[in-house]
Amino acid sequence: MDGTNREPRLSAKRDFRVSADLTFESCPHSQLMTYASVTSHLCLSKLRFFQTAMAAVLACGCDTEAPAPQISASLPWDSIVARARGTTVQWRMWRGDPSVNAYVDGWVAPRLLRDYRITLRTIDGQGPAIVNQLVVEREARARGSADLIWINGETFNNLQKEKLLYGPWANRLPSAASVDSLSSIVMRDFEQPTNGFESPWGRVQFTLIYDSVRTPDPPRTVAELSRWIRAHPGRFTHDQQFTGTTFLKSVFYAENGGSRSFEGGFSEARYDSGSRRLWAWLDAVRPFFWRKGETYPAGVADLHRLFANGEVDFTMSYNENEVITKVRQGVLPATSRALVLRDGSIANTHFVGIPYNSPNPAGAMVIANFLLSADAQLEKLRPEVWADGTVLDVSKLPREAAARFRAIDTGPRSIPRDTLRRYEAPEVAAEYTERIARDWKVRIRADTK
Amino acid sequence: MSDRENGDAAMDSRLRGNDGGHPTEARKHGEQRREFGLLAAIVVASPVLVGVGYSVLGALGVAGPGADGLGMRHVQSVVADGATWRGLLWSLWIASASTAIAAVLAMAVATVFRGGRVSNRLVRFMALGPLPVPHVVAALCGLLIFSQSGLLSRIAFATGLHSSPADMPALTNDRYGIGLILALVWKEFAFLALVAFSVIARRGAALEETARSLGAGALHSFRVAVLPALWRGLLPSIVAVFTFVAGNYEAAVLLAPSSPLALPLLTMERFTDSALGVRGEAFVLVLLAMVVSIAGVAAHEWAAGRAEAGD
Repeated sequence: MDGTNREPRLSAKRDFRVSADLTFESCPHSQLMTYASVTSHLCLSKLRFFQTAMAAVLACGCDTEAPAPQISASLPWDSIVARARGTTVQWRMWRGDPSVNAYVDGWVAPRLLRDYRITLRTIDGQGPAIVNQLVVEREARARGSADLIWINGETFNNLQKEKLLYGPWANRLPSAASVDSLSSIVMRDFEQPTNGFESPWGRVQFTLIYDSVRTPDPPRTVAELSRWIRAHPGRFTHDQQFTGTTFLKSVFYAENGGSRSFEGGFSEARYDSGSRRLWAWLDAVRPFFWRKGETYPAGVADLHRLFANGEVDFTMSYNENEVITKVRQGVLPATSRALVLRDGSIANTHFVGIPYNSPNPAGAMVIANFLLSADAQLEKLRPEVWADGTVLDVSKLPREAAARFRAIDTGPRSIPRDTLRRYEAPEVAAEYTERIARDWKVRIRADTK
Repeated sequence: MSDRENGDAAMDSRLRGNDGGHPTEARKHGEQRREFGLLAAIVVASPVLVGVGYSVLGALGVAGPGADGLGMRHVQSVVADGATWRGLLWSLWIASASTAIAAVLAMAVATVFRGGRVSNRLVRFMALGPLPVPHVVAALCGLLIFSQSGLLSRIAFATGLHSSPADMPALTNDRYGIGLILALVWKEFAFLALVAFSVIARRGAALEETARSLGAGALHSFRVAVLPALWRGLLPSIVAVFTFVAGNYEAAVLLAPSSPLALPLLTMERFTDSALGVRGEAFVLVLLAMVVSIAGVAAHEWAAGRAEAGD
């Protein structure tokens, strides 16, 4: 069913309509959320556990440890490009969103082959699965199965802790000169300096999504949202994965006077006092959630489905432009709009990294550099492609390229850039995310009667 | 006797093992068969054993993601967590209910439609319909039919019974797992029915005939001959369905509630937790699920052994 063809609806009763959308979510590259076919997600999720467990077994004794070939710090960029020419690069990335896949397979890959004779192969895998895979490869002393990985946040944090990343390399990319180096959101990953171990690729910001016909006057702050939830029992919820946790983190900031209280690394004491306010907020509104807060959608795509089917009046996304792509795909109704909460809208950057055991780091670096080029960033930003925010400082680009960025029309569903910047809030230490996610689960499960 | 007949006789004797053949050769063949059987068992069991071994190491904190040194931390944490036992009980409830209902339905269909008439064959054929459907598709169908914005709810809305999705009783992601049980019953029924049809065709008819020839009435011969044979023939499949359903992930992830969290979902959640330190708990949960499955199989073997002794 094509959401763009739906008639505007006038009442909650009329909103109760058919949506045959089966492209549920899968999800969860932590911050990189969108969709996936349910089958690929489920089958892969189920298999991943055994895959990683068995990988150690199968690889053990069959291969020898092969750390990434070292690239001397003095090697000129042209020599790196020459080394990459004619090679194949395996990119382990989340393959759940048709828009992302089309961009990578249909736009990036052919240009890499044409310009560098690099063959790009993508493998599905994201977030925790990447960490698990690399740990098992190290245990098995196996040759790396990926050259490039799509990561951020706690995945980067875990990979750094486990010393599973190759580097530093990102500062050597010629395109890195155009990166928005003044933005702490681009230059830091959940407060951690990237130190050249990952290269920025895209930038996203958290938004709530509502239907402008069903909810013509939506709440704009957490306090207004609380009142709205109480006035509309059963019409709001959040999912159990990363997007839901980010929503809770937004409330965590708002109830504690903003993100500043939590900047500067993780503090148990600050978490304790801050989370008490968050749980108090939640306890007060939870009885008014969908299904009285006794159950929650598994992932954000399930939440999108509930929203599209008229079971709830809000969904959410950690990409301010997802509303554009999902309406285009017919997943969300044409009257869907995004909004940022004025208490703070969490923003972050997603990156590409190179595993410590990558067989082809030179090829991976050339791709990372290409992904940062003005052409590749511009194409990615187009609403009809992916609508993923750029990490470049447009003012650093040549005039003609900068003009092309400014000329992009993202349409009426996009939130003005100055509004996004005005309310943006950074991610704080990854431990806050981990603790909020874990403690929330303990709380909702402890209530089981 | 022609050469060909001689050859056939020799072949027959080889197939029989020792009747009329050379005793040493027969023993040799028997040993070869045993060796082959042992090899096959090793090939089948070794990946499982290695997987179990790796899980034990993961559970003890010496292997796998987040391994932080030998200790019982992960085990203690899983054992002390109420969510583990609530999840386990919930998964056992789902497995027991869906297996029991599917088994009763399969036995009923197999016995009621056991005749050779075209209508009986047609029913038996139709009953196997869900067999090739993947579990995830069965679960999706469950969602599309039973959810609060699903087909039933829409029919109720169209006929004026409901005015909003919330008026529909929660049958998916619900505390008792009604939608999940219905989807699993639909899916597992076909498998159990297939086995039940085969048991009845193989043993039921002959036993029933014998009972009837010995003077038993129709109902009595069914009760004393067909039903016990069907039950014994079906029991291994019932155990297989129970253990499979107890560990099923793809149907549960779509239809189970977030609290209590089914054991397979809890396992995957721990294995993909953003905090590396809790991933060892996933290995403990895997071992727990394995103990449950082994207990199911052991109970079956014990029951089968008793039944044989009774015979």
